[in-house]
Amino acid sequence: MSLPISWRLAPGQLLLHRCWGGECVLYNDLTGDTHLVDEFALELLELLRAAPMPATLLGEDASCATVLADLAALHLIEAAPC
Amino acid sequence: MLTAGLTAGLTVEGLGARTLAQRLRGPGLRLQTGPFVACVRSPLPALARTLGHMYADYPVLDEQALADFNVLLTGASGLRRFIKPQVRFHFDGMTPFQPLPLSQAFPMFEWAMNWCVSSQAHSWLVIHAAVVEKEGAAVILPAPPGSGKSTLCAALVARGWRLLSDELTLVRPGDGRIDPLPRPVSLKNGSIDVIRAWAPAAELSPPVLDTLKGTVAHMRVPGASVARAGEPATPAWIVFPKWRAGAAAELVPVAQARAHLRLAENAFNYSLLGATGFAAAARLIEGTRTFDFSYGALDDAMSVFERLLAGRR
Repeated sequence: MSLPISWRLAPGQLLLHRCWGGECVLYNDLTGDTHLVDEFALELLELLRAAPMPATLLGEDASCATVLADLAALHLIEAAPC
Repeated sequence: MLTAGLTAGLTVEGLGARTLAQRLRGPGLRLQTGPFVACVRSPLPALARTLGHMYADYPVLDEQALADFNVLLTGASGLRRFIKPQVRFHFDGMTPFQPLPLSQAFPMFEWAMNWCVSSQAHSWLVIHAAVVEKEGAAVILPAPPGSGKSTLCAALVARGWRLLSDELTLVRPGDGRIDPLPRPVSLKNGSIDVIRAWAPAAELSPPVLDTLKGTVAHMRVPGASVARAGEPATPAWIVFPKWRAGAAAELVPVAQARAHLRLAENAFNYSLLGATGFAAAARLIEGTRTFDFSYGALDDAMSVFERLLAGRR
């Protein structure tokens, strides 16, 4: 039986960003890269900055799960035990 | 960035050819280009001649002035003086590049000066871009080699735009303005004859054949641009140029977030500056309009840039 996990913002990420016309550039404090993300992804990151969220809750929607996986691959968020 | 030691009004031309050669051979020529002072030393007579012509209007500092960059270009010793002679670039005791044929001494000097700035000047966001200004509005032209950037830049300068730089755009992180670094415009291959025909009054250095970039010549910077090298400019547009044979001149808006990424790709020290680089690029994007620009004829291109300017009046 796997432990329940939550998603949280990766420690050290300040989410320095700018949005123009529905597209955003986001500075990754851990890698030094700049990413092109949409406003939905940025809202997710802001949500996780406010507080970690259970993966079960966020992962119910398939598109949301895909975005979370993408953000995790970029080291912007990480999974942690609840 | 140093300004002390500037002897009032002294220029490379004012030194005279003899003193110029003496300084190059001896203590070094303290040459001011934009915010930088380079101490240039070289015993090569051909380099002294071309440098004396291409930098005639540039300020010279006295021999005690400190320099931001200390560069030395030497010829070869031994048999290499006679058989396929070469030029070698030294920087602070290092030789960062392979030697080149002696005939390429001036292009090597220019490339080396670009390298000094792009690898050392981290008080600015340094973008691989030409930048010109008219009526207080600067246009930044970031582009990889082969895009027609320098040809377009040379044509605009020949039509009265002020040259801030052909190669290195220095963006101040603090206020987003651009510090000029006007140095000769590098023209390659077919663009040399294009500019000769387009601007017969433009002064070009003798073409140098068979460099790594093909045939290279440099266009001398108009004296008015050199005289205003201490005057920063406010960016108004970022235009990504692309020359295509026969293409109509066309400006296509680039979405700002994508323009930010493309600007970052063309910057030498964006990653090194970290969050400061991000903020400087974002500020630049927010303060400008951003376009892709394709063109096939300089006449058409000039009209487009004049219309951009007219739109601000």
